[in-house]
Amino acid sequence: MNIKRPIPITDLDSVDWWSAVSRHEFVCARCSDCNVWRWPARAICGACGSMTWEWQELTGNGTIASWIVNRHGFGGAFPLPSTVVLVRLAEQDDLLLPGGWAGSADGVDLSVGLSVVVGFEDIESETGDSDHAVLSWGPRHG
Amino acid sequence: MSGTHPFRDRTAIAGIGRTDYSKNSGVSTLTLALRAIRAALDDAGLATSDVDGVACHRVGDSVQATIVAQSLGIKDVRFHLDLFGGGSQSAWTVGLAAQAVAAGVADCIVCWRSINARSGFRMGGTGRAAPDSIEFQYQSPYWFATPPQQFAMYGRAYMDKYGVTSEDLGRVAISQREFATLNPRAMMQAPLSMDDYLESRMIVEPFRLFDCCLETDAAVAVVITSTERARTLRQRPVLVSSAACGGGHTLYSNGREDLSTSGAAQLAPRLFDAAEMSPSDIDVAELYDAFTPLVLLQLEDYGFAAKGEGAALVAAGSTSLGGSLPVNTHGGHLSEGYVHGLNHLAEAVDQLRGDAGPRQTVGAEVALVTGQPGYVAGTSSALILRADK
Ligand SMILES: [Zn+2]
Repeated sequence: MNIKRPIPITDLDSVDWWSAVSRHEFVCARCSDCNVWRWPARAICGACGSMTWEWQELTGNGTIASWIVNRHGFGGAFPLPSTVVLVRLAEQDDLLLPGGWAGSADGVDLSVGLSVVVGFEDIESETGDSDHAVLSWGPRHG
Repeated sequence: MSGTHPFRDRTAIAGIGRTDYSKNSGVSTLTLALRAIRAALDDAGLATSDVDGVACHRVGDSVQATIVAQSLGIKDVRFHLDLFGGGSQSAWTVGLAAQAVAAGVADCIVCWRSINARSGFRMGGTGRAAPDSIEFQYQSPYWFATPPQQFAMYGRAYMDKYGVTSEDLGRVAISQREFATLNPRAMMQAPLSMDDYLESRMIVEPFRLFDCCLETDAAVAVVITSTERARTLRQRPVLVSSAACGGGHTLYSNGREDLSTSGAAQLAPRLFDAAEMSPSDIDVAELYDAFTPLVLLQLEDYGFAAKGEGAALVAAGSTSLGGSLPVNTHGGHLSEGYVHGLNHLAEAVDQLRGDAGPRQTVGAEVALVTGQPGYVAGTSSALILRADK
């Protein structure tokens, strides 16, 4: 099965995050005043109202919060079955990121609370003129 | 308690109107809206010239409120609301209109939802561009875009936390189908067994076909006016006892760490306080049901059951015909049709007028009508309605 993933459509708040992902770097915006992480990047801290923040590297560790297994195509071209995971990052309980699953396509190897580690999947654009990547999670051993 | 809430029972639903429900209306969303509004005005005994306000919610899939106002011939639009939002806003459109009437901004406001949800712009995603959301970029590369997928993601987390089974979801679908068999308008009339439910095809795990709402071409409209004026009109008024909006956290807000509750839990205390009521006062509940787990979630978040106990309430038959709290007495979005929350409101009005025929809740005086509980959109909204004495 070789169906290309849709290229992420970035905006001016997200383009740096996607650029990091394309370099296989996993970062998150963090408030410089109260140290609360926030994802996606926004200009203000929802916890303290500070406008000062910076990108910081994440451990890449998390746990499975939920997952779905696509069994119906909804009119789009994508592989069936395919699994999408929702990962709770180790850094903070309210950081929940959708991503691909590098394990079984039908998700039989998944459970809520399973320890996972981030990975990356490179995707080509339609024109082949730029490099992109998306998140691809896998089980974390040991 | 420092006395009556200033908004309580000041306004009323004076009329309701529905188009036919179909899979292919063959007409524009403008024509659907106008047909439903005309029917609602006829129901109330009002003329188009009585209307001085318009309100709708939509997600870029229906005609603008201004065009409806122009078509009705309203010379001076005193209240205009064209709310961007899905089912989470369905009760708030009406709540805002009622508050505007109570504040004297307008005298007679029509509220509607009009969609060609099967023949036109399908929520399920066939042939449509990604919705206008800066958050979608984080989902669409994983083929994670449509409402069934989004609700399945949260639904599994809820099911996992409380041990909710497929059979528990099935009982929601079956109970609502039983009501639908008593509703001539319902698009799904055939009885549904647990075997039928369990054997229906998987759409997106953990959801089967019958966990998912229908897609319908239809419009539903209601007329809001002052209680005083409604009492001079054709129908027994249905009073707006309270309206509330609340919640706000989504996956993208940093704050949504618990996927097993919703914005409904936040707005519910305000909603009941403003009506000077409690959950035990509700005789019939029309709960937004895009997908089966939303019914269980709302039974809990609105205080009818403890967290994790919604499924037990359904299994005991409490939410079925003749139960202590009939839920989605028209069949809901799962079996009557999908009019993005407005058909729930129209059903509540029928119940409170005693016009619901064989599916009537005996002695229904107070109804809860909810929007999508904010599982995806963050915010939610709801209304408490009561029959005029
Ligand atoms: Zn901060």
